[in-house]
Amino acid sequence: MKHVFIRIFILLMLVLPFQLAAQDGADYSRSIGKIYVVVAVILVIFLGIVIYLISLDRKISKLEKRIDNE
Amino acid sequence: MKQLKAHWWKFLGVAILVIVFLKGMLVPLSAGIISVSRNSAKPLENLQLVVKGYNTHFKDSKGPQAWLKLDSLYSIQCSSFIVADQTTATVAFWIPAGLPYEGTRAPLTLIIDNEVDGTSVLPFAVSFVVNDIASTGQGWNVEALEGLHERTHTTYPFRNILNETIRNTYFHVPLWFGMMVLFIASVISAIKYIRSKDPHDDLKSLAFCRAGILFGILGLVTGAIWAKHTWGAYWSWDVKQNMSAIALLIYGAYFVLRNSMSDNDSQARIAAVYNIFAFVTLIPLLFVIPRLTDSLHPGNGGNPALGGEDLDHSMRMVFYPAIIGWTLLGVWIAQLSYRVDRLKHKLLNH
Repeated sequence: MKHVFIRIFILLMLVLPFQLAAQDGADYSRSIGKIYVVVAVILVIFLGIVIYLISLDRKISKLEKRIDNE
Repeated sequence: MKQLKAHWWKFLGVAILVIVFLKGMLVPLSAGIISVSRNSAKPLENLQLVVKGYNTHFKDSKGPQAWLKLDSLYSIQCSSFIVADQTTATVAFWIPAGLPYEGTRAPLTLIIDNEVDGTSVLPFAVSFVVNDIASTGQGWNVEALEGLHERTHTTYPFRNILNETIRNTYFHVPLWFGMMVLFIASVISAIKYIRSKDPHDDLKSLAFCRAGILFGILGLVTGAIWAKHTWGAYWSWDVKQNMSAIALLIYGAYFVLRNSMSDNDSQARIAAVYNIFAFVTLIPLLFVIPRLTDSLHPGNGGNPALGGEDLDHSMRMVFYPAIIGWTLLGVWIAQLSYRVDRLKHKLLNH
């Protein structure tokens, strides 16, 4: 089960940039259409969630340390 | 298989978000008009407009047409349509001697139509300035526009100023919907705690609140980035921005309040009561006050954005799943946070 998901994920990672590149030629004037605002918005959301994950990671590390010490 | 049964909603949320990302980024915008070279027209001149299109296919289309429209009755058809490339064309109009109604100034809307892109509109493209106040219907077309084309493929609507940022409907807007669901879950857990005094309900309430404020902060930051490129400043002291910032500060105080108390029991009780208070203030701050006054925010100044032309059928098909996807992601984040807190609680009271 786990392997299937990892494979799908890798496939998506490989396909996505190609699809985006293919799209790019079709409407070259995207740059003046403020597409970079959308890219920035998505990046901020992603980074926000990553920062949250890091804080969660640290909490779990503390918990593990406490359990190991007991 | 057992994994899938227990965690199906997490997979569902991620699958929906993948589709939302793909559809949200890859479906092109409809053709639109970005600018025209002149903004005013005088009587009896041969007006030459250099039109800059967006996602248009002037070269591929066979019979492009253009009109300057005064209202539902009167319009001027173009005398020539010279295509330079896919997005640039020079359109010429014979401007009449005067307006069909009495008046000295009237805004004209530019309409361009071809069989590839369908119809594009630039409202108030040219201002028609007349010296003579007397009305004349001569030179005006009084027939309704005919033979307009529908675009054939799926696109998102083109809106001036918004342009590609209309896609933020799938990323910025659902964060607020998700935040709302998380805060509702949080206040329900708080009420449950007051009734049951079960510390797990308090921890659930805390976890939902944390995920909710994460979504809220992300919503505010992404909104500010977008505002910089559409309103011109990160913070314009717009009522919508101000009220959501106040709402988040009230929720932020929830965490300060919790941390200021060491006694577990009173901490949970006071936090639960404060949570209910925060939720009650959230409703007028987000849903009532921004609608009472004018706001720059799309969909504001009286009406919510869910109606109207800004959210057409092609966008609803992505927007509604996006709300579900982001909400499920938020619940997942909250659940992880709760599980850590529960273990910590168990360890402390061991």
